[in-house]
Amino acid sequence: MYTILICDDDRDIVSALDIYLTSEGYQTIKAYDGREAVRAAETHEIHLILMDIMMPELDGIRATAKLREGSNVPIILLTAKSEDTDKILGLNIGADDYITKPFNPLEVIARVKSQLRRYTALGGAEKGPGLITAGPIAMDDGAKVVTVDGEPINLTPIEYNILKLLLSHPGQVFSSAQIYEQVWNDPAYGSENTVAVHIRHLREKIEINPAEPRYLKVVWGLGYKIEKGA
Amino acid sequence: MKKLQGNIIAKVCAWIVLLAAALGAGVFGVRAVLSFQSVTADSWQSSGRFYSALEDRRQEVCDNVYLIWELKRVENRIKAGTDDAMIRADAEGFREAIASAEERLSRENTWFRFRVLSEDDETVSGTNLGEGESMLRAVKEICRYSFELPENGVYYSYFDYHGSNPNPELAAGEDAEAAQPLRLVLEYGVPEEADGSIQDEFYQMKQLWEIDRANFDEYLTGFLNLGALALLALIWILWTAGHKAGEESIVTTWQERIFFDLYAAVMIFAAVWLAFCTVWAAEQLYWGQSYAVRAENFELFFNLGVMGAAALFAAGAACGTLLLRTLAVRIKARCLGKTTLLCRVVGWTVRTVHDFVRFLPFTWKLVLGFGAYVIFTFWLIQVGRYDGIFMLMYFCLQLALLLFLSWWAYGYHRLRKGTKTIAGGDLEYQIDTKHMPYDLRLQAEDLNNISVGLAGAVDEKMKSERFKAELITNVSHDLKTPLTSIINYVNLLKSTEQSDPKAVEYIEVLDRKSQRLKKLTEDLVEASKASTGVLSVVREKIGMGQLIDQATAEWEEKLTDKKLSLVTTLPEGETWVYADGRHLWRVLDNLLSNCAKYAMEGTRVYLDLERGKGQVALSVKNISREPLNVPAERLMERFVRGEESRSTEGSGLGLSIARSLTELQGGSFDLAVDGDLFKAMVTLPQAN
Repeated sequence: MYTILICDDDRDIVSALDIYLTSEGYQTIKAYDGREAVRAAETHEIHLILMDIMMPELDGIRATAKLREGSNVPIILLTAKSEDTDKILGLNIGADDYITKPFNPLEVIARVKSQLRRYTALGGAEKGPGLITAGPIAMDDGAKVVTVDGEPINLTPIEYNILKLLLSHPGQVFSSAQIYEQVWNDPAYGSENTVAVHIRHLREKIEINPAEPRYLKVVWGLGYKIEKGA
Repeated sequence: MKKLQGNIIAKVCAWIVLLAAALGAGVFGVRAVLSFQSVTADSWQSSGRFYSALEDRRQEVCDNVYLIWELKRVENRIKAGTDDAMIRADAEGFREAIASAEERLSRENTWFRFRVLSEDDETVSGTNLGEGESMLRAVKEICRYSFELPENGVYYSYFDYHGSNPNPELAAGEDAEAAQPLRLVLEYGVPEEADGSIQDEFYQMKQLWEIDRANFDEYLTGFLNLGALALLALIWILWTAGHKAGEESIVTTWQERIFFDLYAAVMIFAAVWLAFCTVWAAEQLYWGQSYAVRAENFELFFNLGVMGAAALFAAGAACGTLLLRTLAVRIKARCLGKTTLLCRVVGWTVRTVHDFVRFLPFTWKLVLGFGAYVIFTFWLIQVGRYDGIFMLMYFCLQLALLLFLSWWAYGYHRLRKGTKTIAGGDLEYQIDTKHMPYDLRLQAEDLNNISVGLAGAVDEKMKSERFKAELITNVSHDLKTPLTSIINYVNLLKSTEQSDPKAVEYIEVLDRKSQRLKKLTEDLVEASKASTGVLSVVREKIGMGQLIDQATAEWEEKLTDKKLSLVTTLPEGETWVYADGRHLWRVLDNLLSNCAKYAMEGTRVYLDLERGKGQVALSVKNISREPLNVPAERLMERFVRGEESRSTEGSGLGLSIARSLTELQGGSFDLAVDGDLFKAMVTLPQAN
């Protein structure tokens, strides 16, 4: 039984989230501004915090910073700010994930589950010789198994090879042609357009919201990469 | 100290001290001047006054000789028989006069010693020397005087103080020669040791001389001491001038309202006049002494005279002090220039000429300046053709012109540099206008003002941009928050059991519309951001082939669902452009999404990439499902869609966003409508 702190100055959003999360079997604590959230986090055992950024008294960014002083509980920011800088700021200050408003409740639940799995995984999988990880993605090259937040996913051999290439060079951008040459072991003569399709499928399997990938990023006009340190 | 400066009693005292000291100094000064000769000369006989008295005696002797001669003539005429009462009376009168003169000139009555000799120094015709007394012994210095007694009564004379022979040529006139004049020589003088045994003017003179000689030091000391006192009083007056008890600033009086030069002229005139008067009075006293000394109340008159002269001196000193006082007040109040007529006139003239030249239009300045230069040069050449000085002046003129032009050129250079800096974007830059020619300075100041104004405008623009960005963020937040609730609760409704099938249908509509609202809100925010330029653009070298590849991968499935097939034409090799990949993706995303929404089913969508002339053109062509009854330009406006009905999904913002984003990246976005053929073209600069 996990306890989730929901914090937003809009009470309707809080209660909607409450309904969804309760129906998923989580216990919830509600707060309506940053100060309340900080106080609630001090008095209760919290496993995850969902927090809005734009709030009176203490905004989400500052509340996050304050919470981070004494706890590493996962924090997911709910933001109506679609500016990239806000997201980056939120993540830098110590938030683990963010969801842009207006959000899809299913996405919220998926992200909550993902964060909880990562937070409660006891030390994670053993780091074997063939284990490559990036964020929630773990690839056991010996067993040819890929897990996201511990959940195994099914990949085709090509998808597996592409992911392996990207995972073993986190942060490096590979163009379609480079990926084609490395994975297919063939020179790319205009046939690399299939790579993009494979990666889209791969993204759909790994990412919670494929249109807004967190780990397998599309670098438009240049190629693809696995986010470094994700 | 301040209190003392403003003290009126101290001021009055200072004036009284000044006047009294000046008066006293005048008295001592006049006396010192009068007795000055007594200390410089070795003998009391070497004063002008002595000579004057000596000459008076000499004249008396001469007159007496003449009278004797006249008497002789009269007696001759009586002897010749011309005998009447008139002549006898004359003779009697002459005799009386001669007797009184001889009485006065006798050695018992005067220290004056004389000897009348014939021309050849042989015969002595008259003397008051004692028996066997030589002239040389008797007097300190022998003076000689030659004179003639002509027949017709006119006699010529000349001095010969030093006893040389008389020069007859000098005295000889035509008449005199004709008249055969009788030549006589008078030798005279006064003994040095004129003592009290004979109380004549020479004795008095000697006495005075001795008193003067004894007292001169006293007079001088008195003069210097009182002068120093007067000077101290003057310093006090100047120091306190303009200060008044209870007033912080310098107080000016009616005196300071008079033009200083006029005041000074009057005061200097008065002082000089009074000084002359003093000198005159002193002179009168000096000469008068020799006569008045014999008067009974000489002492009183002399003292009164000295006092009068001293009063004149004091008055002159007062005038000078008044002038210095007003000068001090004016300097303290810093209004000397303002209250001087000359300064005002000169200042006004200079200002007028300066202003006239300054505000003369530049063209006129140039024409007049050049004209003056040419005329002056011609004149110099004309005059200086054979004259070295004028040629030198000509060269100096040329040198001055060169310096002037250099000054201008340097000013222009600075102006140019400053303009360039400002034009280069440094709006904070201020051109240094020090030592710049007036016309250039005007230009520079205007430029500085423009740059200040521009910097302000840029600041204003930045502020407004920030404001816009903030507004968009806030509006988007305020729209998105309730929308979040709507979407969530619609979702919740959907998961509840609905007995009424109509309710299920209604919820479906709500769901659809809320999703559309969500899309619309997102597009709206994005459109505002793109068109206001709030978005940050990071341009880098990106591959168009790669991007098209990625985009098609995203859209292929959806297009296939709509029974649309995508035909992509790419040139050989990768095509590089300078663009922001995320924004360019959004452009392509919007264009393909448009195809998915509005293209006729079963047709082909063409995606062509072309290179040429440093530009890269990407075009998307499709056949519209509905007739496009709006011109291409209108399609790019916000909320305009190719069809009238608004039932289909889409905000009508896609093309507008695409255009704004393209333009943000320095590209151009064009639409063309040819019947049902819709063509969008994105042109971007090619990267090497």
